[in-house]
Amino acid sequence: MESTVPGQNRTGAAVTPDQIDRMLEAVRELSPQVPISTLAIDVERQSYIVEAESLGSVPQPAPRAKGAPKKAKAKVKGASPSLLMDKLGERIAFERTGSRLYDALISKFLALSNAGEDVLPPADSLRLDREALAQRELPKGEAALDTLKRIRAEELRHLKLLADTVSGLGGDPTAQTPCADVIAAASAGLVQVLTDPRTTLAQCLNVILTVELTDNAGWELLSELTENAGQGALVEQFSAALADERQHLVIVRGWLESLLNNQAGTPAV
Amino acid sequence: MTIDLLRDKGTPLSEQRMSWKDMVGKPISKLDDDAFTRVRIILMNGLELDSLRTKQVALRSNRDARVQLAQLMRIEQHQATTVNWLIGADHSPIETTIGYEQTAIEVTASIAKLEPDPYLATAYRYALLEDFDHLYRYSALLDRLEGKDANNIVQGYTDIVPARPTVVHHRAPEHDLLRPYGADAPLATKLNALTLTGGEYQTHDYYMNIGPLFADPLARQLYAEIASVESQHITHYGSMLNPDESPLEKLLIGEACEVWNYAGCLEQESNPRVKAIWEKFLDYELGHLQAVVDLFKDAERRDPAELLGDGKLPKFIQFKSHRDFVRETISRETQLRKDGTEFVPEEAEGASSIIYREAVNAAGSPSSTVADTYSWTPGTELMRTDVKAA
Repeated sequence: MESTVPGQNRTGAAVTPDQIDRMLEAVRELSPQVPISTLAIDVERQSYIVEAESLGSVPQPAPRAKGAPKKAKAKVKGASPSLLMDKLGERIAFERTGSRLYDALISKFLALSNAGEDVLPPADSLRLDREALAQRELPKGEAALDTLKRIRAEELRHLKLLADTVSGLGGDPTAQTPCADVIAAASAGLVQVLTDPRTTLAQCLNVILTVELTDNAGWELLSELTENAGQGALVEQFSAALADERQHLVIVRGWLESLLNNQAGTPAV
Repeated sequence: MTIDLLRDKGTPLSEQRMSWKDMVGKPISKLDDDAFTRVRIILMNGLELDSLRTKQVALRSNRDARVQLAQLMRIEQHQATTVNWLIGADHSPIETTIGYEQTAIEVTASIAKLEPDPYLATAYRYALLEDFDHLYRYSALLDRLEGKDANNIVQGYTDIVPARPTVVHHRAPEHDLLRPYGADAPLATKLNALTLTGGEYQTHDYYMNIGPLFADPLARQLYAEIASVESQHITHYGSMLNPDESPLEKLLIGEACEVWNYAGCLEQESNPRVKAIWEKFLDYELGHLQAVVDLFKDAERRDPAELLGDGKLPKFIQFKSHRDFVRETISRETQLRKDGTEFVPEEAEGASSIIYREAVNAAGSPSSTVADTYSWTPGTELMRTDVKAA
């Protein structure tokens, strides 16, 4: 664990000005600048896009097991019930990955705090956007580790809620839907940053901020889709999840600001 | 430290043990370590993998040496892991690719200068100009796909410009072959050829593994195209090796090759932690060499000095920028082509290569498309003053 400090970064052109001059001399001689055209790339990419097949399909409703009692399936209104299933699948995937990302963040936090670094203040001691917390107040005096564990537990609770919802609609919560696949591909870099032993807590919180912003927008969109699909009973539960996520976002942003403003030069930053 | 291949015992095989944690140590810093530390890592991983490959083939055709080969391969496997795992996870696959091409360029340039046989030296310079062009094509891809500057990886040591264009690298297989070195070739010649055969093999395998990981069709095409050229390069360098060597001769040269390269890395390494790995593995390889020397004596009843001479190592590969040598080679030899095993002017190229090339390029040339109008610019082409934000 090391702090991020000025050092021998060798990546920039300014580090080796004489060599860069030689490189530019070679460019002038062997590939001199002409107006940039990526038209050939665009044409090729578009030809693939036009011809492409989809990533895959939304799973068919799960067949009832032999001998199992008939359950009343909730009816989904709207033009595309499969779209709702796909987006529910996406949320399942992201909450599942989110739980694992918090596991990684907790490891990073514990490594620092076990080394005697007092890095994250209790969330309720931060200057936070209180308006955004109107629907979900912060627990008083909750230690940072407990807050991290609580957020992780809430991500998991959201996952279970979504899995039950999909089952209730006759779907299979274990299936990977196309949107679930896409969000998992997009999340691959998030996992890389959180699990790299060299990244600092602040760098990780920066990535978790992306997660929480996506979570917030994702739940907002899902609540709207659910309402439009005539699943009013779910709207209340989804709104509660959104309130949780709004609180997560405010806390994460507050911690990140606190680290960047107060702890520069420490191993946490 | 002067090494004597015939006398130095190194670490006995029985003492060569590593835990998983030993193998999975701290990676280098992409940002702070010298580019040549990464070059050495890539080179040595290539050699370790080739050593495993050679031994696996030997195992299939050598009843008496099976146990010793299995024992040697176990530790080579763990050495390869230790070395390859030094690459940090913040390298994107294209950034690592840039590192692979820089390795090919600077190591081949050094070998071309060291090679005593003028025909083989021409062959090194020939493929050098192709790997050099690959760096330019991949740099265009890195810029245009990820918005990154390849100089973050090459650190000013290696020029990013075209040479013999990749579109004409595609030859009919019979024109990839070279005349092999003879049994009496100096040890340096044998080590040079084996080093680059291993290096190209690794590069080929890497591209074959990561090519399908890309979503972008142009990236998938470019890796498909350049992997094919790297496959040609394996044939190019592999056909330098004397096909009449026995499997045990090849093994002995292979172990000497690893000793030679680890010693060269050790002498020039700037990162103390990586240097300690080179030192440890140099001792391991001396131990492997002794094991193979014993096999050679027992099974072939031959004197290892036939191959290893006086036991002294040839001059090491120089891990430094070979800019002037490469520029000179570009200006003199870009137009060279192949006809069978010979290097010929452009107009005398083997006819079957032209027919083959027309077929593979029939629906366009990925390497030409991806680098169309590309000029390397510090900070990516988006920083050019003629690129205006709307």
